[in-house]
Amino acid sequence: MSQTTTATPTSPAPTADGTPRRRARSGSWWQRLGPPAVFLALLLLIVVLQPNFFSGGGIRIVALQATPILLIALGQAIVIGVGSLDLSNAAMGLLAAILTASTLGSLGVVSPVLCVALVTLVGLVNGLVFAYTQVPSFALTLGTLGILQAASLVLSDATTVYVTANADVLAWMFNVALAGLPAAFWMAVVLAAVLWAVLRFTTVGQGMTAVGLNETGAIFSGLRTRWLKVTAFTISGFTAGLAGLTIIAQSGAASSFGLGSDLLLPGIAAAIVGGTAITGGVTNPINVVFGAATIALLPIGAAAVGVPPQAQSLVYGAVIIVAVALTMSRARGAVVK
Amino acid sequence: MSDLKARPAPDAAPAAPASASRPRPRIRGVGEVAALVVLVVVFAVLNPGTFLTLDNLRTVLDQAALPLVIGVGATLVILMGSIDLSVEGVMGAAGMTFVLLSANDRNGLDLGLGAFVVAVAVGLALGLLTGLIHTLLKVPSFIVTLGVWYVGLGIATLLFGQAAIPFLTSDGLTSWPSDTTLGLPHSFLLAFVVVALGALVSRFTRLGRYAFAIGADEQIAQDNGVPVGRYKLYVFALAGGCSALAGIVGSLQLGAGAANVGIGNLFLTIAAVVIGGTALGGGKGGVLRTALGVVLLTVLNNGLILSGVSPNIQSAVSGVVLIVAIAAAGWAYRGRLRIAK
Amino acid sequence: MTSTQQDPTRTTEAALVLDGIDKRFGQVHAVKDVSLTINRHEVLGLIGENGAGKSTLLKILTGIYQPDAGSIEVNGTQVRFRRPQDSVAAGIGVVHQEQSLLTNLSVAENLAMTASGSRRAGTRLGFYRWGRINADAAATLDRVGASIDPRTIVGDLSFVDRQMVEIARAVQVDEMVGGTPLVILDEPTSVLERNETEILEREIRTLKEIGSVVFVSHRLDEVLRICDRIAVMRHGELVAERRTDEVTEDELFQLMVGRAAQATQRDDRAGGASQTPVVAVQGLTRRGSFEDVSFEVRSGRTVAIVGTMGSGRESVCRALFGAETWDGGTIELEGTSLSAWSTVKAVKAGVAYVPSERRVEGMVGGLSAAANLTLSHPGSTRRGPFLDPRARNRTAATWFERLDVRPSDPSLPLGSFSGGNQQKVVMAKWLMAEELKVLVLDHPLRGLDPGAKEIVNEQIRAACRDGVAVVLLPDTLEEALEMGDDILVMRDGEVTGRFDLSTEAPTSLDLLEKMV
Repeated sequence: MSQTTTATPTSPAPTADGTPRRRARSGSWWQRLGPPAVFLALLLLIVVLQPNFFSGGGIRIVALQATPILLIALGQAIVIGVGSLDLSNAAMGLLAAILTASTLGSLGVVSPVLCVALVTLVGLVNGLVFAYTQVPSFALTLGTLGILQAASLVLSDATTVYVTANADVLAWMFNVALAGLPAAFWMAVVLAAVLWAVLRFTTVGQGMTAVGLNETGAIFSGLRTRWLKVTAFTISGFTAGLAGLTIIAQSGAASSFGLGSDLLLPGIAAAIVGGTAITGGVTNPINVVFGAATIALLPIGAAAVGVPPQAQSLVYGAVIIVAVALTMSRARGAVVK
Repeated sequence: MSDLKARPAPDAAPAAPASASRPRPRIRGVGEVAALVVLVVVFAVLNPGTFLTLDNLRTVLDQAALPLVIGVGATLVILMGSIDLSVEGVMGAAGMTFVLLSANDRNGLDLGLGAFVVAVAVGLALGLLTGLIHTLLKVPSFIVTLGVWYVGLGIATLLFGQAAIPFLTSDGLTSWPSDTTLGLPHSFLLAFVVVALGALVSRFTRLGRYAFAIGADEQIAQDNGVPVGRYKLYVFALAGGCSALAGIVGSLQLGAGAANVGIGNLFLTIAAVVIGGTALGGGKGGVLRTALGVVLLTVLNNGLILSGVSPNIQSAVSGVVLIVAIAAAGWAYRGRLRIAK
Repeated sequence: MTSTQQDPTRTTEAALVLDGIDKRFGQVHAVKDVSLTINRHEVLGLIGENGAGKSTLLKILTGIYQPDAGSIEVNGTQVRFRRPQDSVAAGIGVVHQEQSLLTNLSVAENLAMTASGSRRAGTRLGFYRWGRINADAAATLDRVGASIDPRTIVGDLSFVDRQMVEIARAVQVDEMVGGTPLVILDEPTSVLERNETEILEREIRTLKEIGSVVFVSHRLDEVLRICDRIAVMRHGELVAERRTDEVTEDELFQLMVGRAAQATQRDDRAGGASQTPVVAVQGLTRRGSFEDVSFEVRSGRTVAIVGTMGSGRESVCRALFGAETWDGGTIELEGTSLSAWSTVKAVKAGVAYVPSERRVEGMVGGLSAAANLTLSHPGSTRRGPFLDPRARNRTAATWFERLDVRPSDPSLPLGSFSGGNQQKVVMAKWLMAEELKVLVLDHPLRGLDPGAKEIVNEQIRAACRDGVAVVLLPDTLEEALEMGDDILVMRDGEVTGRFDLSTEAPTSLDLLEKMV
């Protein structure tokens, strides 16, 4: 698999003059078809092992759990798409959730809007600091993660914050269903489609792809690489904020240790299982939907084959390593740090 | 993340040939020591009677023990230009292993020193696994260690199972870290020994020197006959061992097994490594400087808490320090063609 | 290696004999039947223009390439170098053009690291014995006559001292065979200041006492001063061998260049002289790269800048494009002085740059050729923030046809095209801009096949006809004479010569004299 995908991320290796490698184009089959195929294979496995999966509303539960993961993963996929990593976006989602839970009662509809705006701003600041100090993004966002965690702890006073009133402002997202799946899930899918269109049909999207594939080339083409990176981190903040809202809509409460505090790794895993190349420049938000669904399906699949639920984070950890190892392009002689 | 360092322009190499022997500050860490002194003075003034006491000194040293131990491994990894995010997971796995193999109220096992050996072996194994995946499959270290972080947590959770929290039953064991010899807590003495060994390793062994070489330029190191892959493996294993040791001491401090025994240590350690002056790009820094960074951060956190600041903001302090430190360290190297991933 | 204990008086004994070495890369015949002997205690100079085959020959000597034909003999024994280690084991040490020291480690450590595979005992059971390492290093440095404290961090050394350490390290190879080393110095002076090269020259004379030296350089005066004998390569062939005392600098120039090319005065070069310049560079300085560079480029004219490695001409070009900063002087674009210049502003202002590092800087290989083509100046292929794929494909198709790009499918990733076709697309990316005013070309023909070269050159001429001001860094002097209207010669960061081809007709010899 690694062989066939080598051509897509970064500059393809030099070829002998004359014959262009058509492999470069056909080789991206994993990026196009891999994620849905993996999802379907896992679904098939589960249905075989647990025939009552569909009748028991299994797919609805998967969609429910996939929604916050998908939102986090979409932002992450965009950031990975410019060749960086955002370790703080799950914490942003959690902060948004805690803020929403504590202000929904008094502010009503304004609260979720404000909270998403605030977290988007955090993403923007992340991007600005990253673009202008030129420090490695994983280190920077690790720092942001610490700050956000502390903010969540302080704002929630280290306890669970419950929505006191106006819960129906958000609750419909999971109460209203379309084709058997919650509205929030469909909204996330629509967002994925929008991001897909942005990457494919706008100059900003093309610029972000160019930065991810070859930032030096993008600089020498006169692109505003800094702003493109800032945009990516801002999008990450925005989707994280939406993820926070879905947490509140689902459970009506948030705590710095509860639902949402563990979205970081599933988010990255979903992005990568969704065909996003860790080296940058190859992001397909539509496939990230399948990536998120696969990640949400994973605990069920693991349970079906007899893996205890306690092993969930182990499975996530293993999946992320395996997914990257299988899909990474390895230029010969390249230094990997 | 293969290109953390700036790519110099083709003819930027011979830049400033005139600046022959650039005078460099020979005494390093002056800034950190000065910062430490300032902190101590400020907190002593803010908290007369509580900050500058022998008890609080012991508390600080006890708190510094874990990041000091972890910092040794983390420094060597970062010196190579890689990163180890798996610290907390390895701590959890090793700590839980240790608790379940020592005298505890969950099972009848009591392997004594054997528990210690097995727990450290768990850490070494996880480190080795990291190194193998990183070097053989060429997966960037931040991804491998991110995965291993959660693998470690998963192992800890699996070992924890669904029964009640396993408590250590031997009082002698649980009080060991805070017991003192020569007035210093054992946890700190252990950390002291580990740091000293780490300093010796980085100065006097091939392992340590090759870590510097790999961090400076992996390709040149390879060309100069450094078996890069093998030594990366050793360093990651060593880092795993350090995290495991920290997990054991952390479990002793808790007196019980907990998967999240390592929580908060990743920020603190990486922030300490960077603030100590070890560059994330690799090749520059050292174990002793990290130790200084750890002490600085621990004093900062301790002083803030004594001054009435909520302990909840501890991770924010580390986070801010981390961001400021990496930004300051990289400030001089900013450039229009520099690529930061 | 039987001949380890040689009588030092037998100076004519051959240290290295090359016989009929031949190497091809595809259609390129890089080294043609080269036979060469290097004697013990001799300094042999190897000179030739860029692309004369020197580098390939050196790479064969150091085991990086294997020759297609011919044999190598070291100290009377036939050898075959399959990998670099083999040549080290035979006692051949190299000082490469590129830095190969670890700058964060001490001099002694760098020396020990290379020797760690040998019988040196700097480490025992994985432990460093610093005393031993430093003493060994001091001894090695002493042998080559360098007075450097082995405990110094390499990064703190001046460039000439680093070069000494590299030489010391190259000399160490003799401990592998216990004989006299053969040290190859590949353009060791290109990064050095003039006064520093004197130190290096002393060094080389010391080296001669203990072994043989192959000295590769662009600077003929140095070669004449340092070497005993000089071998000249041209177009892959060894065209001459001369003893230093029986050859002049002029004769060497002739040998290097062959039949000297001369600029033909062309009528179309006369025009445009009265206009105000599009680009006016005045006293431009960047510390360590170039100093007090001034020139003007008028609409429709090409300024070719020639110079050897380290001349600073690449830096000047990058400054024009906003990719490098400058410390002093001004650049004016159509009369406006540039400040806070950047690549973004440069592109917007109609400045284009075709870099020599095409794959890294010139393009985004993973994007389609069509996307690359429209990346910088989308023009009509965008509608507001949206791309217009149809318009883009139309534009791409037009340019593909005009430049005969193959394969003709612009939706393929540009990285999958051959070098020549990539370069055509990179050219088109800038030429398609209506606002194109300045075209900066850094070795635009490098690595291209003849057909692609002709197309690229034709596009440059066409751009000139459209009134674009062109700055060209050519690969060869012939290219400069063919394409340039004005020629600027740079050496060590300074302008050493100017030729206006509408009034003068310099030969490549005239240019070379100012370059080296």
